[in-house]
Amino acid sequence: MPGQDRLKRDIIDRGLCSSCGMCVGLCPYIKTAGDMVRVINPCGLAEGACYSVCPKVSLDLREMDLAVFGREREDQALGVVREIYFARAGENRAAKAQYGGVASALAAFALKEGMVTGMALAGGGVLCPRPVLARTVDEVNGCAGSKYTAVPSLAVLNRALREGMSGLGLVGRPCQIAAARKAQAGNLAGDQFSNPQAVGMALGLFCFWSLSPDFYRFAFRRVKGEEMVRMDIPLEGPVVETNSGNCRWQLEEIRPFIKKPCSLCFDSTSEWADLSVGSTEFDPSWNTLIVRSDKGRELVDLALRRGAIEIAQYPEERLPLLRRAALNKKMRVLGLPEFEDGKPGFPVVGRYREQIEAQWGGVNQ
Amino acid sequence: MTIMGVREEKPGVRVALTGNESIARGALEAGVAYAASYPGSPTAEVLGTLAKVAGEHDIYVEWSVNEKVALEGAAAASFTGLRSLTVMKADGLNVALDFAGALAISGCRGGMVIVVGDDPAAHSSVREEDSRNLCKVIHLPVLEPSSVEEAMDMTREAFSLSEELALPVVVRCVTRVCHASGDVKLGKIARTEREPEFQRGDRVITFGIALHAMQEQKLTRASALFCKSGFNSYTGPQRAQRLIIASGPSYMYALEALEMLDLSRETGVLKLGTTWPLPESLLLDYLINASEVVFAEEVEPFVEDNVMALAARHWKDIGSITFYGKRSGHVAGPAGPGIGEMNPDILAGSLSKITGAAFKSPVLSGRKGALELLGEKMPGRDLALCAGCPHRASFWSIKTALELDGRGGIVLGDIGCYTLGIARTGYHILQTVHCMGAGVGIAGGMGKLDRFGFNRPVITVVGDSTFYHAAVPALINARYNRSNFMLVLLDNETTAMTGHQPHPGRSSTATGEPADTVHMEDIIRGIGIPCSLQDPYDVEATIDVICRMLQQEGPRVLILRRTCALAAVKGKQKNRVYVDGKRCIGDACGCGRFCSKVFSCPANIWDAESGKARIDEAVCNGCGVCATLCPRQAITVERTV
Ligand SMILES: Cc1cc2nc3c(=O)[nH]c(=O)nc-3n(C[C@H](O)[C@H](O)[C@H](O)COP(=O)(O)OP(=O)(O)OC[C@H]3O[C@@H](n4cnc5c(N)ncnc54)[C@H](O)[C@@H]3O)c2cc1C
Ligand code: SF4
Ligand code: SF4
Repeated sequence: MPGQDRLKRDIIDRGLCSSCGMCVGLCPYIKTAGDMVRVINPCGLAEGACYSVCPKVSLDLREMDLAVFGREREDQALGVVREIYFARAGENRAAKAQYGGVASALAAFALKEGMVTGMALAGGGVLCPRPVLARTVDEVNGCAGSKYTAVPSLAVLNRALREGMSGLGLVGRPCQIAAARKAQAGNLAGDQFSNPQAVGMALGLFCFWSLSPDFYRFAFRRVKGEEMVRMDIPLEGPVVETNSGNCRWQLEEIRPFIKKPCSLCFDSTSEWADLSVGSTEFDPSWNTLIVRSDKGRELVDLALRRGAIEIAQYPEERLPLLRRAALNKKMRVLGLPEFEDGKPGFPVVGRYREQIEAQWGGVNQ
Repeated sequence: MTIMGVREEKPGVRVALTGNESIARGALEAGVAYAASYPGSPTAEVLGTLAKVAGEHDIYVEWSVNEKVALEGAAAASFTGLRSLTVMKADGLNVALDFAGALAISGCRGGMVIVVGDDPAAHSSVREEDSRNLCKVIHLPVLEPSSVEEAMDMTREAFSLSEELALPVVVRCVTRVCHASGDVKLGKIARTEREPEFQRGDRVITFGIALHAMQEQKLTRASALFCKSGFNSYTGPQRAQRLIIASGPSYMYALEALEMLDLSRETGVLKLGTTWPLPESLLLDYLINASEVVFAEEVEPFVEDNVMALAARHWKDIGSITFYGKRSGHVAGPAGPGIGEMNPDILAGSLSKITGAAFKSPVLSGRKGALELLGEKMPGRDLALCAGCPHRASFWSIKTALELDGRGGIVLGDIGCYTLGIARTGYHILQTVHCMGAGVGIAGGMGKLDRFGFNRPVITVVGDSTFYHAAVPALINARYNRSNFMLVLLDNETTAMTGHQPHPGRSSTATGEPADTVHMEDIIRGIGIPCSLQDPYDVEATIDVICRMLQQEGPRVLILRRTCALAAVKGKQKNRVYVDGKRCIGDACGCGRFCSKVFSCPANIWDAESGKARIDEAVCNGCGVCATLCPRQAITVERTV
């Protein structure tokens, strides 16, 4: 595998880095500030783990499925799915939670139960988000709420692993889950990668794109300095709530703020997570929860038993909408004139492509 | 350092002094009352020496904020009839020049001596300016000592000369005299008995061309005095046809070169201790007999050009002479005529070319000889910031922050230890370096170019002493005209480069008395510019604050404050820093030997035997910054407190 030089040339310099943070701090030369990840000095080595862990290069969908779940997916829209629910936090819902607070509730629960030693999260305010390694319930709750910028939160994961911690968890965007899984796949130099217990729990978020921090500055001007209480991006376009009302934009208006790698991204539901959490596009006090792995199942069962979360049936009629949205994103990427299997920024789709096209079934479906 | 020698009361005793101490002693013997300076190599130690004896001799000694202010203060003492001394490096004369030029017109009263340290070969300067040319422009007489002892004698005599001419006198002293040690015969220390007076109605004014005429008369008189001066002397045969005219230490080199070539008997050497104005009739006395004249001086052909002009005026009387020097190309060091220092070998080589006398350049000569002899065995050694230098941490943070910022930001430099930011030790980060304070002025200009489409973020770095010296007006300008840049003030709480002299940000004066500290934050905020403070040893936090401040607009200042590593450990037990051999996995790490190869603190070394990093404990100053940067946390700091 190539190293830092190629990572810089192929990904970072071309603006294809989604700021997952996985390469940050592997060496003293890749650093982050805000949502920026940059190579500050050449390391001079031809090969490096930084390239291997980057989710924007050599991400082979089928190989990832096999490595994480031991089987190929049947559903090209949502990946390997065991169950899907509506869910929300139990009585200890984090005050700042985006929707049902399931992500925070599960992260806090896993910590409390000692299933993980720390969780890599995105904390700070929306204007100044930063990676946080949460080790207490309070710290998890402090990180609740979506920051729609690309917070490189895996940087703290890396640091903790290097310091010898093990059994860590993360809540992350799909690219972050992919990066953590790549790192977990092993075969990389450095003992932090040879520990199979290093990352014990991967809670993925749904994510259709992240935005450049300029968006928040733009929004801040639009709400004329009023406090932004909450922001949400339902299908119709973004909304910012302030104390005196809401501010809405058409999706088109904010398109210039979408990060470039996100337009090339294939995964909107964290397909390799143990559990994936998203909105319901229906009831903001609930989440969509996808259970993917045995480990995810165990956590959900325990959390249900202890009342950390509650679940409801996923409405049958909503599933096609979710699948359609996920497939649309993939088809849009496949349709890009510059799309090429495995080209920097794009995944290796391989023989999944035919199945995707078949399951998508054409524009009129 | 032999402060005992400077203190010695008994006249006639011989002691060993450095050139700078010798200048201080000369001033004491002249009964100096007021001495002011801004530190600069090679003359930085003169004022420090006087400060040590200020109490016992009741003289006023100050480190001034800059050379112009130093000279103005010294002039005030002179206006009241007291004797005063100002000391500066050549670059300092440029700073003081506006006032010096005016003072040369108005004249002075009490003897006023300006010691200017020139640095041929720019050993510790950014340039090798020859200040004699400036003295000529502003009409000030110049004396040039050729030895340590003469530095003392000339300084002492310059005071009387100044009073005789009612004009400040410059003693131009080069590095090799300032820093050499020599045997000196002491004179008597004189104590000021004068009562300062400047009455209502007294006037010292620079105005009109009438004074210009007077100024010219003063110089004519100086020339006449110089013809009889003991600082000019001749050695050699009577009516020598070949004459060397030498000034400064080149006089010594000339004597040595003649001996090497066995030409002493047939060549005359005219030593010029008073180089401006020329002692014209004295020179003519020797030129009349000469058919060949060779010039030996540093740096520019100053005596050479002026003597040639003199000869041209008198060509009818003195006949035809061939002049050998920098203009003819005969007297030239390895870098070419008029560049760098002289030495006996260079002069012997030149004389051999001129006379045909055999001269085999000794193998072991100068830098080239040393390289030839030791080349293989000596590893190359870069100029480097000291171990633990806070500037290294600051530069690393600035470099990192600019890469993170990703807009191709530029960094402008200034004068101080941190000028080394142009070199590998500072990651080649500085893109401009000129003179004290210039970085801030240039940044001010860069920050106004957005209207033409220049949108790179601009950072300028300046040290604490330089800030007080020359950066404040540029900051006021930036605020007033709304320029857009970020000033990073590298505050190591001392004037480190010239030997840790205090400055207005400190709490004591040159003589150790309590001072009213002028806080830089107060100045900056007073101008209306936002100002943050950060410890550069905390690299992560520093990067963070620089990144944030880069996003802001208008002039803004970040003070990176941390005491100079050398000052911090003086007299204290250092922290012990060591590499944990189990954690450092050598080249398997993937860091590419970050600590020793990239961060490059001189104490971070590579142990070839174990294939791991190591700390050179003798060099390490215990700052612990590398420990925070090592990707494997393999470096441990044992704090002493
Ligand atoms: C950039 C982005 C885009 C998203 N787009 C969609 C979408 O299009 N459709 C959809 O259904 N859902 C999307 N989500 C997910 C959604 O916003 C909620 O995060 C998710 O539904 C969980 O809700 P919750 O109430 O459980 O969250 P909470 O309990 O509030 O927990 C949110 C968790 O997300 C973490 N987090 C917040 N911001 C980031 C970030 N930028 N990067 C990494 N982690 C972060 C926090 O640390 C916290 O642990 C997006 C999330 C992000 C961050
Ligand atoms: S996407 Fe992640 S791994 Fe790839 S360059 Fe960006 S931060 Fe590094
Ligand atoms: S859209 Fe894809 S690349 Fe962008 S933040 Fe979300 S998961 Fe990462």
